[in-house]
Amino acid sequence: MAEVLQRIGLDVFFPEEQTCCGQPAFNSGQWQEALPVAERFVRVFATAETIVCPSGSCTAMVRSFYPELLANSPLRSDAEALARRVFEFSEFLVKVAKVTDVGADFPHTVTYHDSCHLLRELQLRTEPRILLRNVKNLELVEMLRSDECCGFGGVFSVKFGMISAAMSETKCGNIDATNVEFVTSCDSSCLLHIGGILKKTGSPVRPIHLASILAASPNSSTAARRVHS
Amino acid sequence: MPQTGNGSREQILQRVRDALTKPAAPPCVGPPRPIFALVGDLLERFQKECAITLTECTVTQGTESSREAITSILDSLPAGDFYIHDTPQLRSLIEGCTANRSVRWSSEGPPLETTQVSLTLAEGLVALTGSIVTSSGCGGRGASVVPDCHIVFATIDQLVPDLEAAMALIQQRGLPSKNSYVGLITGSSRTADIEKILVLGAHGPRRLAVVLQNR
Amino acid sequence: MTTAAQEFLRKADEKSFDLRHRKTIRQGIDSYESAHNKGKSRFSDWEAARDRCAQIKAEALSRLDQYLIQFEEVVTSRGGYVFWAANSEEARNYVLEVAKKNNIKTVVKSKSMVTEEIHLNPLLEKNGIEVWETDLGEYIVQLRNEPPYHIVTPAMHLNRSDIAKLFQEKIGGVQTNDPTQLVALARRKLRQAFFAGEMGISGANFLVADCGMIAINTNEGNGRLCTSLPRIHIAMAGIEKIIPHLQDLATLWPVLATAGTGQHLTTYCTLIGGARRNDEVDGPEQFHVVLLDNGRTELLDDTEQRDVLRCIRCGACLNACPIFRNVGGHTYGTTYQGPIGSVLTPHLRGLKEFNHLSFASSLCGACTEICPVRIDLHHHLLQNRRNAVNSGNRPWTERLAFSFWRWMMLSPRRFRFFGWLGRKLMKAVRMLGLSGTRLDPMYKWTKYRAAPDFPAQSFREMWMRNHAANR
Repeated sequence: MAEVLQRIGLDVFFPEEQTCCGQPAFNSGQWQEALPVAERFVRVFATAETIVCPSGSCTAMVRSFYPELLANSPLRSDAEALARRVFEFSEFLVKVAKVTDVGADFPHTVTYHDSCHLLRELQLRTEPRILLRNVKNLELVEMLRSDECCGFGGVFSVKFGMISAAMSETKCGNIDATNVEFVTSCDSSCLLHIGGILKKTGSPVRPIHLASILAASPNSSTAARRVHS
Repeated sequence: MPQTGNGSREQILQRVRDALTKPAAPPCVGPPRPIFALVGDLLERFQKECAITLTECTVTQGTESSREAITSILDSLPAGDFYIHDTPQLRSLIEGCTANRSVRWSSEGPPLETTQVSLTLAEGLVALTGSIVTSSGCGGRGASVVPDCHIVFATIDQLVPDLEAAMALIQQRGLPSKNSYVGLITGSSRTADIEKILVLGAHGPRRLAVVLQNR
Repeated sequence: MTTAAQEFLRKADEKSFDLRHRKTIRQGIDSYESAHNKGKSRFSDWEAARDRCAQIKAEALSRLDQYLIQFEEVVTSRGGYVFWAANSEEARNYVLEVAKKNNIKTVVKSKSMVTEEIHLNPLLEKNGIEVWETDLGEYIVQLRNEPPYHIVTPAMHLNRSDIAKLFQEKIGGVQTNDPTQLVALARRKLRQAFFAGEMGISGANFLVADCGMIAINTNEGNGRLCTSLPRIHIAMAGIEKIIPHLQDLATLWPVLATAGTGQHLTTYCTLIGGARRNDEVDGPEQFHVVLLDNGRTELLDDTEQRDVLRCIRCGACLNACPIFRNVGGHTYGTTYQGPIGSVLTPHLRGLKEFNHLSFASSLCGACTEICPVRIDLHHHLLQNRRNAVNSGNRPWTERLAFSFWRWMMLSPRRFRFFGWLGRKLMKAVRMLGLSGTRLDPMYKWTKYRAAPDFPAQSFREMWMRNHAANR
């Protein structure tokens, strides 16, 4: 992601003190544990002009859920202001930087999985697809029910592993049916989960994050390393 | 009055009132706007919707052709009792149509289990959905649901455009205060409980036929 | 862990990999999806329709006491009886009392989830009253002695040969797999019940305050027959079913039909305001309405989740839910399944025993997206989770784990260290060949999925290296 942003001429900073947005605890109902972590996040990024995140679920946490979680916090208005400055990566490129072609070259067949937070909390469906269609030599093949949940759901994948795995089987079945080489998404957690099932079932399809595709070009040396195997 | 009083009325109402002292956030909605496109030609739309819901709709030009339409439907049905909503209009209409059928008028009582076909008027017709508006005043409750085939005789001036107009009609005519049953019927009885396959005639009529006279 | 939670996990385990079940449900859902999408296209503005429904129900709830009183006044002015039941027991006992006082031996029932909720049938049967479920799906599960699988399509887990075998066994008649003939078999059998029935019990989709009428929607006509032929009619509904005006049905009826089955309107949209009048041909001699609280006033009191009471029981959220599709309706073990069941049951039956349902979700949000009355379903699941934690209804180990997590996350140094440690540990587990075995700390993950390949460096390490190189 950083590579792509730099390629389109932006200055990228990585605040090293950052840790986590707090979503795992929040989603588990442990709001008292999530709150200090969220407040810390707000402080760490307080002076950042624009924050870009390669994850739909983290972005949704800050934008949709921080106002509720920090409702009684002294940092509430900071959180609300922050929520307006946080963007998911594909959203940032298309809607803020107004760039739809980042000069990427990825000569492979790819299918796209709509991750739930990105689709339903952030309402982003077309932005990743616009970016993918502008990647040279990439063929985008839509899978059946790309918007159906992959089954990760954070701690759900472990607590209710059997349901999570069953959901993923359906998703991976739809992916395999497209006969593509790669499945991509804007959320690593989905890709981790889907990748786990694909590998276990011996599917040749490999997961790759959208940012890695956008970073790929004949000159880029990092593309190969970024592929989740 | 009620056998055991009205139960926990005061207790429940008090709990409701206590809860409502705390306001909740209203739903997040846009500005009010129409939900259905305006219906154009009422007759055309009604016929189109009947085709979708599998209601047989025959448009006739006068009493004679209405009689023919009704006779034709009766001829296509197996033998069995004919139950008719007792009104002067229908008494006059079905003269000569009922040969070979045992007729029971609604004034004689409710339809019997063996009723094959019924004929009633309607309170109105709804173009948007292809529905008939009916009530217990149209031959009683059973007339539209006991037989295997229900025939509705209506006239074109009974058509209203949409559901809002239908509800307004029901209210303006005071139907709730004059009838213990008021309803909309859209198509014949059906079920899709077996593998989502549509089967007609679950418990109510397998056929609903509207004879619509163009006065 | 409580018994209900353990049962849920056990059944989920059974059903999740039952491929026959998965296929049957998938077919049903696909069929629904296509009909639903077609149904939505009949509206010129479906979102406007959802808005209106949300507003109608919100208005009804905001003045719930006034509308309930108005409804009662009109019904009783026409000679009908209105009974207010605080809980299941009061509601059941009222029905039994009316049945006994009127020497009722046979009851025909139109579909009513509320009568399932209060477990009415067993009480009536124990008192020597024959109860016939007349909705075809309900009749089928009654014959099988099972609860309904889905609040709208109770038998969607069965295919035609399951039903054929069942009918052969319980009804007899010609052996057939053809749905038309199966329906005809049921029709003949239930027609006898309708005409013999002395009391009809129905639910109500809506209670209309201004004209004092109950609204019942069915496609089969069983709701019509149950309320026309027997001499007594009892309608039962939750207090939240009230709507202010008859005119509201012009929006609610087509939306309910679209969300429920993809139809423009349910075949029989029925309004009943009382027993048969003196000048009427037929109809019951007595009309009773039982208004049920049973935990609904507590939900009303929870201002954060009051909107849950807007639910019109269309079943759309069940159809949209990927968890429901995989574990099926019976796994929930509750009257109401799917997302609405997971949100509602902890309120109606206790957070302690049923909070696990709110955790059994990936929070994908498909339910909120489809809900025609705009209930914030998946957010309520999150709130139930928080409530469960705050009321001490979650295992202490969870709290401990997250306290540790918090401690780790409040320091970048600790975050980096434990990240590094985790990667090294996983590498060791892999090298020792323990991946996927019970000794694997990530067993709960690797039981179903291949372990992920952790990168050699974290992004942080990579960034620092590149920046050092660029300086």
